[in-house]
Amino acid sequence: MQKRVAITGMGVISSLGDSPATLHSSLCNGKTSIYQFDESHLNGSGGKGSGRIAAFRAESYLKGKNLRPLDRTGQLVVAGAGLALEDSGWTPEHLTEYPVGLVLGTMFGSLHTIAKFDRHALEQGPGCASPMDFANTVINAAAGQTAIWHNLRGINSTISSGSASGLAALGYATDLIRFAGQTAVLAGGADEFCFESFCGFEHAGMLHSSGSLELPVPFHASRTGFALGEAVGLLMLEEWETAMARGAHILAEIRGHGSAYDSSRQDRGMAVRSIVRAMADALDDAGMSPREVTCISASANGSIREDQDEAVAIQSLFNGSSQSIPITAIKSMIGETLGASGSLQAIDLVETMRSGLLPGIPGLGQKDPLLPELNFCCEQQEINQCHGLVNSIGLDGNVYSLVISRGPEKT
Amino acid sequence: MSAKPTVVVTGIGMVTSIGAGRHAFWNALLAGTCGFAPVKSFDTSAYSVHLGAEIQNFKAEDYVRTLDVNSIGRSSQLAIAAARLALADASLDLTEVDLEHAGVCGGTTSGEPQFIERFDDHYVHDELRKVGQEFITGYPCHVVPCHVAMELGFSGETMMIPTACAAGNYAIAHASDLLRAKKASVMLAGGADSFSRITYTGFARLGAIAPEVCQPFDRNRKGMVPGEGAAMLLLELKDHAIARGARIYCEVAGYGLSCDAHHMTAAHPQGEGAARAIRMALDQSGIAPEEVDYISAHGTGTPTNDRLETIAVKNTFKKQAYKIPISSIKSMLGHTMGAASAIEAAVCALAITEGHIPPTVNWKEQDPECDLDYVPNVARKHNVRIAMNNAYAFGGNNSSLIFRARAV
Repeated sequence: MQKRVAITGMGVISSLGDSPATLHSSLCNGKTSIYQFDESHLNGSGGKGSGRIAAFRAESYLKGKNLRPLDRTGQLVVAGAGLALEDSGWTPEHLTEYPVGLVLGTMFGSLHTIAKFDRHALEQGPGCASPMDFANTVINAAAGQTAIWHNLRGINSTISSGSASGLAALGYATDLIRFAGQTAVLAGGADEFCFESFCGFEHAGMLHSSGSLELPVPFHASRTGFALGEAVGLLMLEEWETAMARGAHILAEIRGHGSAYDSSRQDRGMAVRSIVRAMADALDDAGMSPREVTCISASANGSIREDQDEAVAIQSLFNGSSQSIPITAIKSMIGETLGASGSLQAIDLVETMRSGLLPGIPGLGQKDPLLPELNFCCEQQEINQCHGLVNSIGLDGNVYSLVISRGPEKT
Repeated sequence: MSAKPTVVVTGIGMVTSIGAGRHAFWNALLAGTCGFAPVKSFDTSAYSVHLGAEIQNFKAEDYVRTLDVNSIGRSSQLAIAAARLALADASLDLTEVDLEHAGVCGGTTSGEPQFIERFDDHYVHDELRKVGQEFITGYPCHVVPCHVAMELGFSGETMMIPTACAAGNYAIAHASDLLRAKKASVMLAGGADSFSRITYTGFARLGAIAPEVCQPFDRNRKGMVPGEGAAMLLLELKDHAIARGARIYCEVAGYGLSCDAHHMTAAHPQGEGAARAIRMALDQSGIAPEEVDYISAHGTGTPTNDRLETIAVKNTFKKQAYKIPISSIKSMLGHTMGAASAIEAAVCALAITEGHIPPTVNWKEQDPECDLDYVPNVARKHNVRIAMNNAYAFGGNNSSLIFRARAV
C-alpha cells in the first residue's frame, strides 16, 4: 500500500502577503503586486513590472539569533520555513527529537550574492573576498542556513528545474515520503528578485513590455511576456499515518505528481505533448482520471509561447471536460516568482479548496483567439473544491504537474 | 530484505584531468597519476595559491553532436561528454530506448560559472549592455542536465540537484528512486563542474587551498585543490538490463542522506550527521557494517575534513573501521566539486568489477588522528563486494551511497 502524503502546514512570504490566507484573499480580490517595487536596488536598469517584496524585514520574522550570516535569499527562506513550521505545529522541542527534512526548489540560489562576491574580488582583489558571502554562493546555501536556524537534521536537498523548481521539489519530497521512509519533510521553493536576473531576462526579451497591456495578463491576445517577482513558499509534508498519530491538522493531500522534458525546444507539438504527459502522469500517479479534476492552477505568466502550449495541452488531455474545468493563473497578480512559483500555486490551491473560492485572472477580457475555448476564470468564482491540478512549465522545457486533493473535514 | 526492484549500473563515463573514458581514467588512477598544475583559465598572480586540477585539451566537438557546441557552457560540454561515454560504455542503442522514460539527473556546485563571471566583467567595466540573451539561456544550473537531455533526445524527468560537493550522490540516489517507482526506464545520473574563478577565490580566501600538493589524511596536509570534471552513470532496473543483454557493473544497494544543521562550511565536530547518513545507507541496503569492503572517502585534504571524516567512520564502524580500506581519489583529481561524488561512484563500480582499489597518493606521514588504512600510495588488489561512497557538502549536506556486486 503506497504511503499517503499529507500537507499539515504552509508558510509564504510574497508581495501579496505573508500568510496563505492573506495571499489567497488578495488573489481573490484581484489585487496585483506587480508594480510595487523599489527602484534603488535595480542599478538603473529599469524595473518595469517587477514584483519585489519591498516591505520585507527579516527582523520581524527572525528573532533571537544573529542575522549576519544570512543573505536576503537566506532570510526569506529561513523566515518562510519558520512560518510553515509554526503553522504545522512543529515546535523547536519536537525538532530536537526528530530530524525533519527540507527540500528547496530554486532557479538561481543567491545569484546576487554570487555576483557580489565575484565583483568585490575583481575590484578589491581576491584577498578582500568575503568568506561569509562565499558560504552563500553555493546554490544549496539557503537550504543549509534554514536547517541550521531551525534545526532541520533530516534529508536536506536543493532542486533546480528552472521556474518549475518549486513543484519539482514538492514531487521529490513526496517521493522521499513514499519510497525512502521519511515522515516529515518541509518542501517548496524560493527565488529572490535581483537586478542580475532581471537584467538577464530583460536582455533575453522575455519580460512583459507595456504596449496595449499595462500588466502581463496570461492567455491574453496582447500578452508579451512575464513580470519578474520573488517569494518563498514552503509546505510541511508528512506521512499520513504519522501526521494523524501526532494530531496534526491535515489541510490537504498530495495525490500524485508527474514530469516531462521537451528535449526538442523547437517542436511546438513536442512542447505540448510534454505538458500533456506531465499532467497525465500526475493523474495516473494519483490514480485519478482527468474527469475528476475540479480546478486547474495554470503556470501561464504572460509568455507568448508557453501560455499557448499549456492551453492546447489542457484541451488535449481534458478533451470533453476541458470546457468546464475552471482555470486560474495567479502569476497574473503575483508575477513570475521562479523557484517559488509552483509552491505558491500549491499553497493557493489548498486555500482555494478550503474556501471554495478560485481567484480569477484580472484583465483577461479578451482571451487570445488562437487559444482553445477553455474555462478561463476572469474573476473569482465558487468552485467544487475536491481535486486540483497545479502546473509548472519551465522556460527551458521542464514541465511538472501536481495533483492535490482537499483534506478531511476538521472534526 | 525488501522486495524493491533492483537498480543496476550498466555504463560509466567520465572526463577528468587524468583521462577521459573508463579505460584511460581507471588506468591513470591505479597508476597514481595526478592532474595538478598551475591554474591557466584565469590569472592567479594576485592570489597566494596557484595550484589547480584543470582538464587540459578538452575538445567538446568530439562529443557534442546535436547541439551547437558554442551555445553551451563548459559544464554542459563536460556533462554531455560524460553522458556520451557512459552510453557507449553501456552499449545502449538510443533507437531502442523509450525516450519519454529516459531522464537525466545532474549534480553541481556552480552550474555554469563562466556566464556570471562574464556578466560581472561587463558590470565592472560599465558595459552591462553587452549582456546578451545567452546569460539566461546558458547560466542557470538546471540547463546542464537539460543540455544533456537535448543532446540525446531524452524527454523523461530532467533535474539538477545542486547540493554542491555531495551532488553526484544525491543525483544517483534520486535517479534510483525514479527507476524503482517505474517513472523512468533508464536514467543518466552524475555531476559536472567546470573550473570556476568564484569557487577558487572563495576557497583561497578561506585558506583552504594547498600550495603544492593534495595529500588527504597525511599529517602535513595543507588543503584541497579545486578541479573540474564530469561523470555520468547509466542506471536501469536489473530486469531491463538483463533483457537487453547489458553488462552489469553492480547494484545500487541504497543511500543515506542527512543534514548537520550545525555550520555552513565546517562539519559537525563529532561527525554526527555524516554517521547518520552512513547508518541510513546501511539500513536501506540491508547491509551490516562488517560487510563493507571499501570506502571511497570524501577526503578533500583539508585538516578539518579528513579528521572529522575519520571520526564519523570510526563512530559508525567502531573497531571494524580499521579493517576497511578507505581511499581518496581527490589526492589525484583534486576536488571536482559537483562531479566529485559522481566520479567516485564510478570508481566504486570499477572497484567491484575489477577487484582493485585506487590509492590515496602523496601520503608520507601518518596523522595520529587519521590512523585508518587509507591505501597509501599504491593501488591494491582487493575483493570488493560492497563499496561505500561518502560525500559531504557546504550547508551540512551529508551523503552515503552503497554499491553491491551483482547477485548471481
